Amino acid sequence: MARSKARTEDYVGPVRRILIGLTLFVLFALFLLWRIDSPRVERFRAQLVDSVVPSFEWALVPVTKTADAIENFQSYQRIAEQNQELRRELRQMQAWKEAALQLEQENAKLRDLNNVRLDARLSYVTGVVLADSGSPFRQSVLINLGARDGLVDGWAAMDGLGLVGRIAGVGERTARVILLTDSNSRIPVTVQPSGQTSILTGDNSSVPPLDFLENRDLVRPGDRVLSSGDGGVFPAGLLVGEVVQGKDRRLRVRLAADYERLEFLRVMRSHPGEVVEDSGALIVMNPATAPVADGLPEECLGLEEGDPLPDTCPGPDATETVEVTQ
Amino acid sequence: MIDPYLMRRLLYGLLFLGLSTVIIFTRMLPLHAGAQAFPPPDLILCFAFAWTVRRPDYLPVFLVAAVLLLSDMLSLAPPGIAPLLAILGLEAIRSRRGLLSDQGFAVEWASVAAVLFLMMLAERVILGVFMVPQVAFGLTVLSLLVTVVFYPVTVLISSLGFRIEWMKPGAIDPEARTT
Repeated sequence: MARSKARTEDYVGPVRRILIGLTLFVLFALFLLWRIDSPRVERFRAQLVDSVVPSFEWALVPVTKTADAIENFQSYQRIAEQNQELRRELRQMQAWKEAALQLEQENAKLRDLNNVRLDARLSYVTGVVLADSGSPFRQSVLINLGARDGLVDGWAAMDGLGLVGRIAGVGERTARVILLTDSNSRIPVTVQPSGQTSILTGDNSSVPPLDFLENRDLVRPGDRVLSSGDGGVFPAGLLVGEVVQGKDRRLRVRLAADYERLEFLRVMRSHPGEVVEDSGALIVMNPATAPVADGLPEECLGLEEGDPLPDTCPGPDATETVEVTQ
Repeated sequence: MIDPYLMRRLLYGLLFLGLSTVIIFTRMLPLHAGAQAFPPPDLILCFAFAWTVRRPDYLPVFLVAAVLLLSDMLSLAPPGIAPLLAILGLEAIRSRRGLLSDQGFAVEWASVAAVLFLMMLAERVILGVFMVPQVAFGLTVLSLLVTVVFYPVTVLISSLGFRIEWMKPGAIDPEARTT
């Protein structure tokens, strides 16, 4: 028996070695493919996550709920303490509310004076956080929104208060949100009130640092950090957090979003901004397209020089446009 | 009637699969979003080593590779590198397990730790050569230390809980005879 076993092992050994060699080759090829053609492999990864994670959902929900219940129970134990705290906060909030109302009125007045147009197309979809990234050094979450909700890579995700991250990887039913704390996250931001622009660089800590600040002296702890919209990927003006100074005297950002409790995320639908490409014509060749042509009927617009004028149009001698053409 | 030894191998394979599913599942729970101070141990790798050292016939190395590849794909890790190094490490331990069998646990622990350390180094070198962005060296070393510290725990669970123990000489025969 022992001998026959030994003999089969002799026979199995080389086959096994070849199989292992093949597997190693395939794995390395996969890694190379990922390195060379990352989008394709990432798309495959998104599809895989899309098919695996929702099937976990039935199990994820009760566990998450239980953990939440335990947390809530713990918070019951210090309810009196919390009550005091809340009262104190409420008093502060009332003061803030008063200030906010005044500011709102002032803001409305100023907007009215400036004739500001807000971007009406900035809308959002809200999703539930399904799962964590699963890797200790990656800060990302999966949400239950995907390509069927019209999600696109690069859109911003917020919780109720502040920016949380950006969409990276969209499956049919799930999408991955890279958090601002991930070491791959780089977001262009502005620091208010000084208006300094900077890049918020994730480094796996809960307070990511500000990089490439032009003038450090203008930024101090307590300043507000907003997304700047530079580069056209992110909508501008989303609240990111507040500047703090780290122990290493670097300027860091305490994020406004509550990273401990990411439950619902709001994904901002952003549309590519329109670009003004015309260099602006200074000399007006056609009287009909001149600035004074505001009240003209449509058939008068876009005429070439020398075309017969329709009757409904005012003749070239009717207005001062003649002076412009000369 | 299925051969009981084959049956047992099959069952242990399924057990490993179930164990890894639970581990991956707990990693994915959305309980600890945000930055963590301490990296968790790589328990799948710990179990794979503990089983391979004791009963390599229970755990096909391809199963470990498949599980690690899946966990790579589910997290954001670069795919393929962790299973590749795991195969190399497991095979290295497997071919030297004859030397480990009568040396006691301390030697086993030290050699597994050495293999894990080499795997970590190799991963960093490969990722460095291909210019993949990596985490800080300190963090990976910390994660390796945590994994090594958890290795005896997984050994205890495997030997006491799952009865995966060193095969004694001539142990195959009675095993094969049990109906």
